[in-house]
Amino acid sequence: MTASAATAVASRPQADRPPLVRLRGLTKSYGSMVAVKPLDLDIQSGDFYALLGPSGCGKTTLLRMIGGFTEPTAGTVEIDGVDVTRMGPERRPTNMVFQGYGLFPHMTVRQNIAYGLKLAKLPAAEVETRVKEIIGLVRLEQLAERRPDGLSGGQAQRVALARALVMRPRVLLLDEPLAALDLQLRKAMQEELRRIHRSIGGTFVFVTHDQGEAMALANRIAVMDAGACVQEGGPEEIYGAPRTRFISTFIGEANVLPGRRQGGRVTLEAGGSFADAGADEAVVVVVRPEAMALGGNLPQGAVKLTGRLADSVFLGPYVRYRVELPGGGEIILHSQDFALRHRLAVDDTVEVGWTTDVQRVLADR
Amino acid sequence: MPRNPVVLTLFALPATLIFLLFFLGPFIYFVVMSFWSVSLFRLSRDFTLVNYLDVYREYGYSVAFTFAIALLIAVIATLLAFGFAYLIRFRAGRLGPTLLFVTLITMFGGYLVKIYAWRTILGTTGILNTGLIELGIIDEPVSWLLYNPGAVVATLTHFLLPFAVLPLYGSLRGISDAQLAAARDLGARPLRMLIDIVLPQCQPGILVAFMLTFFIAAGDYVTPRLVGGTATAMAGNFVENQFITALNAPQSSALAVAILAVSAGTVLLLRAVMRRTLAVR
Amino acid sequence: MTTRFARIVWFVFGAAAVFFMLSPLLLLVLFSFGRNSLASFPMRGVTFDWYRALFANQDFWVAFQNSVVVSLSVGVTSVLVGMLAAFAFARMKKRRAGPLLALLTVPLMMPPLVLALALFSAYAALHIPLSVWTVVPGQVVFIQPFVILVVYARMADFDESVIDSARDLGASPMRAFLTVTLPIIRPTVIGAALIAMALSLDEFIITYYTIGGGLTLPTLVWGMLRRSLDPSINALATLILIGTLGATMLAIRATRYRG
Repeated sequence: MTASAATAVASRPQADRPPLVRLRGLTKSYGSMVAVKPLDLDIQSGDFYALLGPSGCGKTTLLRMIGGFTEPTAGTVEIDGVDVTRMGPERRPTNMVFQGYGLFPHMTVRQNIAYGLKLAKLPAAEVETRVKEIIGLVRLEQLAERRPDGLSGGQAQRVALARALVMRPRVLLLDEPLAALDLQLRKAMQEELRRIHRSIGGTFVFVTHDQGEAMALANRIAVMDAGACVQEGGPEEIYGAPRTRFISTFIGEANVLPGRRQGGRVTLEAGGSFADAGADEAVVVVVRPEAMALGGNLPQGAVKLTGRLADSVFLGPYVRYRVELPGGGEIILHSQDFALRHRLAVDDTVEVGWTTDVQRVLADR
Repeated sequence: MPRNPVVLTLFALPATLIFLLFFLGPFIYFVVMSFWSVSLFRLSRDFTLVNYLDVYREYGYSVAFTFAIALLIAVIATLLAFGFAYLIRFRAGRLGPTLLFVTLITMFGGYLVKIYAWRTILGTTGILNTGLIELGIIDEPVSWLLYNPGAVVATLTHFLLPFAVLPLYGSLRGISDAQLAAARDLGARPLRMLIDIVLPQCQPGILVAFMLTFFIAAGDYVTPRLVGGTATAMAGNFVENQFITALNAPQSSALAVAILAVSAGTVLLLRAVMRRTLAVR
Repeated sequence: MTTRFARIVWFVFGAAAVFFMLSPLLLLVLFSFGRNSLASFPMRGVTFDWYRALFANQDFWVAFQNSVVVSLSVGVTSVLVGMLAAFAFARMKKRRAGPLLALLTVPLMMPPLVLALALFSAYAALHIPLSVWTVVPGQVVFIQPFVILVVYARMADFDESVIDSARDLGASPMRAFLTVTLPIIRPTVIGAALIAMALSLDEFIITYYTIGGGLTLPTLVWGMLRRSLDPSINALATLILIGTLGATMLAIRATRYRG
């Protein structure tokens, strides 16, 4: 790259910089079983990046290929402009926080954290400073001389994180980092991870099956299904504009209503129709529960359906209604109109609806 | 199940009684006997150290030889077993359980049978010789295969290998794949990984494997007798000789105690050495 | 990422180790069916003559009977005694159970010759006449540690709440044990019993010194080994192998042992 080109790149907006991690045509198959289909992905420096998908979707295999623990069948992994595809993990500028942590039980917390630096033959004084610094960052001062078997789940998690971070990796990889923790601890550790990411400003890539966790942590999410990346983007984009039916239901709750587009007009199986340009085909209409309205709250020009109110639950911030549609479908909707709840009784016939600007119409494949 | 300490004690009692009556009691009696002497085929129960002096004067060489050969067997068996256990745990993948199964079924059963098998394999008219002749590799049988220390080492290593594999595999099983992956991720090459991560956690397994193989090898007398030949008499053979042929049980006992003491000392020494060398720096 | 070279080295090592462990035993079995009077190549066809010769030998049946009696007695005794001890240890604090377990395991580490001579001396000193019944406790003392270790390992990950449930539903402690605990650990107990019998069937040194004039299968092998090159010894060795390996295989099946 010439000097002028480099300047040009630097002056472009952030997303146009050369990516820190660049995957091209990356594939992994075990015999005839394809774990990861040919996949292109760019991860920018500073990203907190989530690989999100159900178990068995290939996300962990992908992470391990980035880390060098699994050899790709085809394609390349480039980190910082260097092709590392054939390098082992010990030669890559990445470090990993493993699922189950992989702490060394015969070493103290401090020895665990210092291990990589000692292997790198850093001067003892520097090892000590860096270990001390990182122990402070993850708040383990009190536990530094303990052995891992005396630690709680959250503490062990922080040791694993510190042990990887102390190496100052260009990319930190985390394999289901919070899966082993209980709900409350998970929330606390999410905050902790965000704080650490902010304070050191590195690039984190993590694997999770929990969409809430992906939303809570990541600024970019790649949704994976059956070995392929089905959508990549910011959390708002993926939640607000899911590209497939799978994504719409995997990420958050969604009403998926089947219908048919004929001559620029979509007619739903449950009744109701609206104008929508596009080819004649089977479609599904996806609407988030909080974008739905009920009874008297229906806005002008809404798509309307009639059904039987089957259940209403007060959940604190909102009321959750379930409406059964004639023909077997149902609609979930969240409403913050608490007064409405007292005017409705289960088994009432109600009208639900939404405006076309909150819906997504997807070809039903 | 009860937690009552009295009931617990009652539960443990039969096993403990058997241990006391049929092991500890006779063993103490046997050790005490080493301080007695025999005159005119009668036991004289006066305290004497003459048997131990005789061990030192007459059997020094054989104790040293036994020690050397048992050490050799224990080292070979432990090393091989470590490699094999490592293979089962980390390298064999789906074949691991099958290899473990092979280890287990060869462990129980066939002590005499195994010694006999080796004799028929290594003898001048044995399987190896006739096989090699049949294949045209040698013209006439070679006799140096059997009746020497090498045959004892081969036979006992074969017999003891499964005993050494199991405790080592047990130790290796406690090491997770994530630990090894983490070490590698932090820059450890295979040898470093072995020294820093695997061996320290295997210490108990190594010790048990070594102890089992060393003790049994040092105390064996059937193997040297059947495949070792006259030049390979081990201390166990003299223990037996003194007891059966010379009818000098005290001398036999003193010699046995000497072997046990040397064995125990070796194991303690090994433990101390391992503690030091495998400590985390 | 393992290099191809490392993979080949490990494969060769594994194959060699398995060959080393199994081939002597397989050869023995092979030659027990060989027409040759000596175990040597080339094999001159298949025959059952050595088995016929063995079965015609009166000593074999005496030894067989004694071996069955001793193995069964040792199996039953060491399982009963060992199981009770394992229960007790599983209920004790680890700190107390550990040393006790180690202590009872000492006979396992002893050279069998020392055990044998010590027992022989003690029996002699107490004027106890030697028979198959003096063999049994001598074997139990070094076989019971196996049983204790196997059952103890099983009890360590036993879910105690099932017993509490049984008690809560009205079962007496004994009934809870018989109807809940025992059925759950039965495979382990059966496995331990089979291993105990395999060990007993194969035991030679202690048996040799404490049986007096009697015979068991291993002491019969010993006698045949010293007397002559009787080819039916291959057949006898094969039968012992089948007995011990068969029992062990069943035991592994029963306990689903994985190390």
